[in-house]
Amino acid sequence: MNKTKRTLVSLIAGVVLIGMTGAAWAQNTGTNLASESVIEIIKKRGVLRIGLDFFVPWAMRAKNGDFVGFEIDVGTRVAKDMGVEVEFIPTAWDGIIPALMSGKFDVVIAGMSITPERHLRINFSEPYASSGMLIAANSKNVPGLTRASDFNKPNITIGAKRGTTGVDSAQKQAPLAKLRQYDEEVVGMQDAINGTIDAYFSSSPVPERAVASSEGRLYLPVKETFDGSLESFAMRKGDPDAIVFFNNWIRLRKHDGWLKERHDYWFIGNDWSDQVDVK
Amino acid sequence: MMSSRGRGKTFRLVWLDAVLLGLIVVVVLYLWRRASAEVFYRWDWSVVPEYLFYQNPETGDWRANLLMHGIYATLRLTFWGTLIALIIGLVMGCCRVSRNLFLRLVSRTYVEATRNIPPLVLIFIVYFFVSSQIMPLLGIADWARQTDGALRTMIEVSFGPIALIENFLSGLLVLALFEAAYFTEIIRAGIQSVEKGQWEAGGSIGLPRYKVMRYVVMPQAIQRTIPPLAGQLISLVKDSSMVSLISIQDLTYSGTQVAISTRKVFEIWIFIAVVYFVICFSLSLVSRWLERRMSRGLQ
Repeated sequence: MNKTKRTLVSLIAGVVLIGMTGAAWAQNTGTNLASESVIEIIKKRGVLRIGLDFFVPWAMRAKNGDFVGFEIDVGTRVAKDMGVEVEFIPTAWDGIIPALMSGKFDVVIAGMSITPERHLRINFSEPYASSGMLIAANSKNVPGLTRASDFNKPNITIGAKRGTTGVDSAQKQAPLAKLRQYDEEVVGMQDAINGTIDAYFSSSPVPERAVASSEGRLYLPVKETFDGSLESFAMRKGDPDAIVFFNNWIRLRKHDGWLKERHDYWFIGNDWSDQVDVK
Repeated sequence: MMSSRGRGKTFRLVWLDAVLLGLIVVVVLYLWRRASAEVFYRWDWSVVPEYLFYQNPETGDWRANLLMHGIYATLRLTFWGTLIALIIGLVMGCCRVSRNLFLRLVSRTYVEATRNIPPLVLIFIVYFFVSSQIMPLLGIADWARQTDGALRTMIEVSFGPIALIENFLSGLLVLALFEAAYFTEIIRAGIQSVEKGQWEAGGSIGLPRYKVMRYVVMPQAIQRTIPPLAGQLISLVKDSSMVSLISIQDLTYSGTQVAISTRKVFEIWIFIAVVYFVICFSLSLVSRWLERRMSRGLQ
């Protein structure tokens, strides 16, 4: 009897204790959310840590080893507006979302397109850029084509980079064509130049740049970009302050024309090419 | 005995060698012609020196550039990784043949758990779960950030940029743990390959077990394990490229960055292959030298 009673008492005590902790938690949640936001952490640390990987012309390495690119301009400006230092942390693409989720950097600014699969794991801000597909086609193998659907033939081979929107676009536009996936864009483009494949699908401005330097071996069948995507800052879930801050930053810089000016510099103009091109 | 035979033999070219060499030259030339006829690619090797060392056009100063930093990072990983893996491997190897059941269980569990998990998964587990809990507790990063002067330079030379020191240590830990599991098995095999008579002889002159291990068994075991250890070391160098997943800019990842930025993909990858070859081949030479030295010492 005594034993049952003691068990009962400790059981009740346990339940009460757990209940109390729960109540205390609930009370603190409101204040904790604000003070635990990554924005507060950045301010306290004095450094904004940005995760990125390399894509032309989003982020590249200049000849002096510096980071250059659209992404770099955006990241530097965000940090400047916050009044903190900026730290870019290059991370291989496959590791970038896990590293963000476990807090290795504050935000990913890496030309990451919004996809529903990614969105299930992380939060996206409002888009700060948009991009679209273009095709670089081999002039000898497939001359005179003018539409993306012209490539939808079983005797045509298309290349695209694994895990990118180029693959999705190629499958959508030319489901009958053979698709070859590459780990490196430069290698796929080289195959298109050599005629090993007939065309290469990639985000603008990669195809234009390849065509320009191919001495007529490649041409652009489609002039206007298609299959557009939206690029956003990515951050951890459960941080409303961060998402509001970055959203408003993007809205402001869109409205005052800064984002468009920088985007045009990197994506439409070619003034920057001597920073990375060897010749 | 062996070395004197090797030295005494002089090399003479016979007609068969000449024919074989000629054939190789013909095949290489043919492949080169075929490749250059079908491949449109403008070779430009200037990309390699440019990204190895950068000269500031205004001041004329030279400084190490991306590829050189990558080489340093890979060498740092190799050096510390080898050191730590050898220590863990030696300790665990001895545990594997210990008479203590607990030590045998611990070392066996370690080896099987580490060897049978893909290294990428291991990197993710250690980096995201283990080290993100342990590193802040140890406070290494905070301590390193507030150092200055000679101490800071020393830390940066041995472990790379301060900002990424946690990543470097985590990567190093994974690499060392992963390779040490193989080292453990190599050392266990080496110890067990020493004949039972050696143990008995050591025991019969009154040496305690650990002294038999230290003075009789280990010297013979180490000598036998040098060739397989060298092989595993070379794997370590090449496996070190996995750490780019956790933001460490080793040679492979630096090379990828340069190749993407400049589009000179062939030159960069050929250069990187040559650097890995030089590092690994030097390790082979060191191991061969060690092997010879130790066999001389034992005779």
